[in-house]
Amino acid sequence: MRTASRLLLAVGVLLALPASAHAKTTCMLSRVSGVFETVRAFVQQQIAPGPQRPKPQAVEAAPAGGPSVDLGDLSKPEVVERQLRTAVPTPRSDLKLTVPNGQARLGDFTIGSAETMTGHLLVLGGDANVYGKLLGNLVTMDGNVVMHPGGVVSGDILALHGDVRDQGGEIGGEVRTLSAVTKPPIASDTASTRSAVIAVGRNVAGVVGVFFTLLALGVGLVTFARPSLDVVSDTASHSFGRSFITGLIGQILVLPTFGMLVVGLVLSVAGILLLPFAVVVFVLLLILGVVGGYLAVAHAIGETYTRRRMARGTAIASANSYRYLLTGLVGLFMLWAAWAIFGWVPVAGEMVRAAAVLVTWLVGTVGFGAALLSRAGARGNFAGRLIPPEALTDEYLWATPQFGVPAVRRPESGPGARPGHRSPLDR
Amino acid sequence: MRTAKLALALAAGSAGTLSAQAMRPFTTFRQLHGESRLQARLDFAAGQLRVVPGRAGELYRMSLSYDADRFVPLSHYDPSTNAATLGVDRAGGGFRVVSRSQLQQDAVVELSPRTDLSLSLSLGAVEADVELGGLRLGDLRVEAGASRTALHFSQPNPIRCRTADISAGAAEISVLQLGNSHCDRLRVEGGVGRMTLDFGGTWTSSQVAELSLAVTELRLRLPRKVGVRITMDRFLASFEPAGLVRRGDEWVSPDYDRSERHLDIALRTTVSAVKVNWTD
Repeated sequence: MRTASRLLLAVGVLLALPASAHAKTTCMLSRVSGVFETVRAFVQQQIAPGPQRPKPQAVEAAPAGGPSVDLGDLSKPEVVERQLRTAVPTPRSDLKLTVPNGQARLGDFTIGSAETMTGHLLVLGGDANVYGKLLGNLVTMDGNVVMHPGGVVSGDILALHGDVRDQGGEIGGEVRTLSAVTKPPIASDTASTRSAVIAVGRNVAGVVGVFFTLLALGVGLVTFARPSLDVVSDTASHSFGRSFITGLIGQILVLPTFGMLVVGLVLSVAGILLLPFAVVVFVLLLILGVVGGYLAVAHAIGETYTRRRMARGTAIASANSYRYLLTGLVGLFMLWAAWAIFGWVPVAGEMVRAAAVLVTWLVGTVGFGAALLSRAGARGNFAGRLIPPEALTDEYLWATPQFGVPAVRRPESGPGARPGHRSPLDR
Repeated sequence: MRTAKLALALAAGSAGTLSAQAMRPFTTFRQLHGESRLQARLDFAAGQLRVVPGRAGELYRMSLSYDADRFVPLSHYDPSTNAATLGVDRAGGGFRVVSRSQLQQDAVVELSPRTDLSLSLSLGAVEADVELGGLRLGDLRVEAGASRTALHFSQPNPIRCRTADISAGAAEISVLQLGNSHCDRLRVEGGVGRMTLDFGGTWTSSQVAELSLAVTELRLRLPRKVGVRITMDRFLASFEPAGLVRRGDEWVSPDYDRSERHLDIALRTTVSAVKVNWTD
């Protein structure tokens, strides 16, 4: 009961405190918190096992041909570090190491204020405290260098995986510290993962966006320019090699053609006025040639795939140009989708990306070439001498040739056959 | 389902590993032992560089964080010539593509404000912020590759600077408060890029600037208190004089002849755009 009344009193006192007192209380609390934090860190430091420092001792010189480290030139710290890693085994007990014009020490080492050491000094696994003079270079590995007031090092200092604390000493040469590779903190790992996932999401969104843009353009082409698209598509199917070579040559000649166009218009005085329009038209035609050609090849791929499935007996509800285009685009974008999702995989991601770029370029080139060959679909008999225009029918291309009994049983040769239409056996 | 989880975990793990660039800290400095001059050369292949005036008791200091897999730190001093070379260089030889992750390297270089300084900067794919105000700059040489560099002279140079040579490749360079540089001669060669030359600051003497630019957008910020004269040799280049008056083959500020100090600019430019702004 008494305790409860005390608690109530304490709460009442706290509530009665004015705002200014609240601010002071906050300040005091933060100070108290700081003290607690310091004590906690100290205790943790005492409890936690620190790195094992070797017992201070001199390192014997290695026999002839044994490990040796030259500390004469410290301008390339990573080279010195590499030499030491090779020469000094882990653990360091029973270490033998030669330092030309100098000596090596294991564990903490101090140069007293009355001492003068001549030659280079290597301290492994301990701190080097310099109160006196060192006439040479000083290197520590896994330890710090502390330059006390009055301490002198005439040469360079290199602290590998340690620090140099200059408390008023004199250093004649250059001071270098090379720390260990910094590992990113866990929080940053999480952030990196998040950013990587965001990057994947961005890539997927980009690929999907481009896909739907091309699909929309393709639907427009099918709706408004289907005959031309069909001709370009068939050109790509039946004259693949010619289309590719034509597209390749076309790519090479694009810039010279553009240059000739500009120069020609500039030279003809009246043509200068047409120059801006000509440039815009040229660029638009180029884009139309490449994008339209690409869509035509996608159409051709989709048509091939669909017809082969049908030939195998798969029932397909509506085998039309829209379907061909969609199927072809999905096929072409499979690689880009794979890159968008797995592009982060170190080597494979780059390979998939390279493959996607290569395939896209190949398809674009073939499409561009087919568009050139067929004059953007205006030239119906694109295949020229190779395939006669009258032979260019779907039946010629895709229907499985049927001879013998199956041909006789075809509907065309039966009672319902169209008049004047002969089966192959009738010929 | 299990496969999807495994793929997701693998993706998350690998993405984390990939983006976790291992950087290595490196520090170097040298105490000042009465040196009266310093020839400092800063070679920085990739990353972010900041140059500032240093501490009183040190000749120079560089605090660097570098990609140990692809680069090595540069730190060398020759006492006989008082020449220091600092920065990072590519490990090994050959051509290497610099990626965005390698640009995470960064360095802060401090140079003594007590010694006469001859400074040479060689910058690769670098974003550099160089504060030269307060340094005793005797001469300056900047070679910038594909960099974005800002040179500031926010305080007047205590000594006279003989020349400032700036050579830029595909770079964006801003040189601000050039009046504080107290350089007798400024030479600029620019490739493809954008350049801002701000001649503001405290003028104690006249300056001559020789600018040779190609495919560059040049913005000149000129002080009204100084008489400005621009002689131009241009081909397919636009020029907005903005108050400069044509006099024969040159453009001059209206009070050029009455001005005590002059800025004479010889500009040779091809396929560029030159704009003039006035500062008070």
